[in-house]
Amino acid sequence: MDNPDAVKHETVMDTGAEQLGKTYAQALLSAAEKAGKIDLVVDQLVQLVDTVLAENPQLAAAFASPRIEVEEKCSVIDKLFGESLDPLLVTFLKVMAGRERLGFLGAVSSGAIARYDEMAGRVLAKVTSAVALDDASRSSITQTLEKALGKTVRLEESVDESLLGGLVIRVGDTVFDSSVANQLDVAGKRLRSGFSSKLVEHFDQMTAN
Amino acid sequence: MKFSSDEIASVLQQEIENFDSKIDVREVGTVLEVGDGIARVYGLSGVMAGEMVEFPNGAIGLAFNLEENSVGVIILGDYLTIREGDEVKALGTLLSVPAGDAVVGRVLDPLGNPLDGKGPVQSDVTRPVEIIATGVAERQPVSEPMQTGIKAIDSMTPIGRGQRELIIGDRKTGKTAIAIDAILNQKDTGVKCFYIAVGQKDSAVAGVVDVLEKYGAMEYTTVINAGASAPATMQYVAPYAGTAMAEHFMFNGEHALVVYDDLSKQATAYRQMSLLMRRPPGREAFPGDVFYCHSRLLERSSKLSDELGGGSITSLPIIETLEGEVSAYIPTNVISITDGQIYVQPDLFFSGVRPAMNPGISVSRVGGAAQTKAMKKVSGGLRLDLAAFRALEAFAQLGTDLDPATQAQLDRGYRMVELLKQPQYQPLNQAQQVCSLYAGTKGFLDDVPIKTVQQWEKAFLSFLSDKHDKLLSRLEEEGALTEGVVEMLEAAINEFKAGYRPTEEG
Repeated sequence: MDNPDAVKHETVMDTGAEQLGKTYAQALLSAAEKAGKIDLVVDQLVQLVDTVLAENPQLAAAFASPRIEVEEKCSVIDKLFGESLDPLLVTFLKVMAGRERLGFLGAVSSGAIARYDEMAGRVLAKVTSAVALDDASRSSITQTLEKALGKTVRLEESVDESLLGGLVIRVGDTVFDSSVANQLDVAGKRLRSGFSSKLVEHFDQMTAN
Repeated sequence: MKFSSDEIASVLQQEIENFDSKIDVREVGTVLEVGDGIARVYGLSGVMAGEMVEFPNGAIGLAFNLEENSVGVIILGDYLTIREGDEVKALGTLLSVPAGDAVVGRVLDPLGNPLDGKGPVQSDVTRPVEIIATGVAERQPVSEPMQTGIKAIDSMTPIGRGQRELIIGDRKTGKTAIAIDAILNQKDTGVKCFYIAVGQKDSAVAGVVDVLEKYGAMEYTTVINAGASAPATMQYVAPYAGTAMAEHFMFNGEHALVVYDDLSKQATAYRQMSLLMRRPPGREAFPGDVFYCHSRLLERSSKLSDELGGGSITSLPIIETLEGEVSAYIPTNVISITDGQIYVQPDLFFSGVRPAMNPGISVSRVGGAAQTKAMKKVSGGLRLDLAAFRALEAFAQLGTDLDPATQAQLDRGYRMVELLKQPQYQPLNQAQQVCSLYAGTKGFLDDVPIKTVQQWEKAFLSFLSDKHDKLLSRLEEEGALTEGVVEMLEAAINEFKAGYRPTEEG
């Protein structure tokens, strides 16, 4: 039990952290928007989380650890990122350090992406298909969705053979399901219930004697 | 019996041809945690409070708590096979149950699934489980009697159609027996009955179903069971589901009688759910809205106005008290909601007074308006007389000599108490009740030994139905003790007394 974070079940979604990340991301983006460098800041934040911290888990653990003094964390931030990152982002990291929230950088980054997409009128559509999409179908999906939703669409693709055919597209909490597997399922259910009611109604006709 | 495969195939073919594939659009969420019959779900951002959701294992859930980051869902069904990360689908409708004639005569769970092995409920009609009760303009005062067939109740705490009459008392005092007798007495009256068992032993419910079947009452009764082994969520929903089924009849101009057996267990189930949902506990750890939980349920029992068909739901909620403690939280709540209460006491029960109703503290706030004239006449001073008798009885125990007038009052009292005893499953119709109460209150029983009063009554009633059928049917029709009827009745009583010799007991 050296590292408490390592024990944490990976699939458990921490809604508290998500909420916290959203709040910090909102603050960061508002500040960046004022300074007119919102693209740069989001890009640097995502890179910081996805590459630097992901490749150096020890650094991430040190950021999250409450046993390391705030001053120490701030001097590390200055030394490591003082030159490479935008001063606004560096200040933001120091504010987070001061509030013992550096462990939630991942949540802040995903919150920032979501908020950034929202501000730019972009939505993320998760597309699952039975076979990998080709370019033609990809562009047709994007166009159809953009027309329907009135927003720019960013696709995230995955392949699931159990769908048999068709597509499952998820935008936010709404799922558009045209997969063959689901249709078979629905048809099966309707057949069963429809048949049982018909059986009761026309019992005499269906029995031979 | 053989099934013809051609017919079956053609039906299936028809179903397949009629199937048009559409894109299935649904709102989804992900299970964060699950246990104890509740789940916390991430997502479902557009779900309504009280909306139905479906889990991958087919279990239905109800969005119960809408929080900032998650939705608290109560699971009505098997929650042991639901896993973290499962997709939850919003169904876009409020929880509803099958209703209509198809549910009559069935034993169902709170979602309308059969428990009696008679196959699925085939009904085109469904009704939402939670609706807001009808308003002032849609109602009218209680005016029709709802006979329970029990002398003590129909005379002293009469119940009208559309009334809510609480049956309250300790365990094992005959609360359910009163309700079952009331159901049995609805035979041939067209009143549909609903017996809703909440948190009861399944064996006890099986016993009730058995009795109802034996006396032919299942033909017009629906039993909804959320037994002691059912999840708390089911026990919570059961009364609402049963009321929804009864409402179908009320809104179609018919009458229904609903027995909630019992609401204290529903309150306990609701407390469990609320605590698991982390709602703040209040008095006795019940959530703050436990009063509303019962008041919104019982408000749905009403007598509709004539424009709406004049249908009604009469309800008999049952509350179990601990050691006769009526001032506990849930009993006081339900007493204040209902239109009166029948208070049953263990000491009366064990001294042989059954039904063990205490007439002194049992009341009916509206039922008097629904009594027939005849019943009003014979039962007029009954409650006060009995109360005076109880006071006198305590005094007489001191062993002092009593003047003849007091002694006569005491003797009358003993005989009335005896006369108000009534065996289980033997409801009497209005005419029979009036006849025996008339005999008692007018002093015709004063020379009958106390021990043989019940025997006398039984013989008298069978004598009436054998020899004076006209009198009974006239009383039942007119519902009033006109001079002619009184004459006939007194003549009949005297004729019976002349020929009656008590047989030795045993």
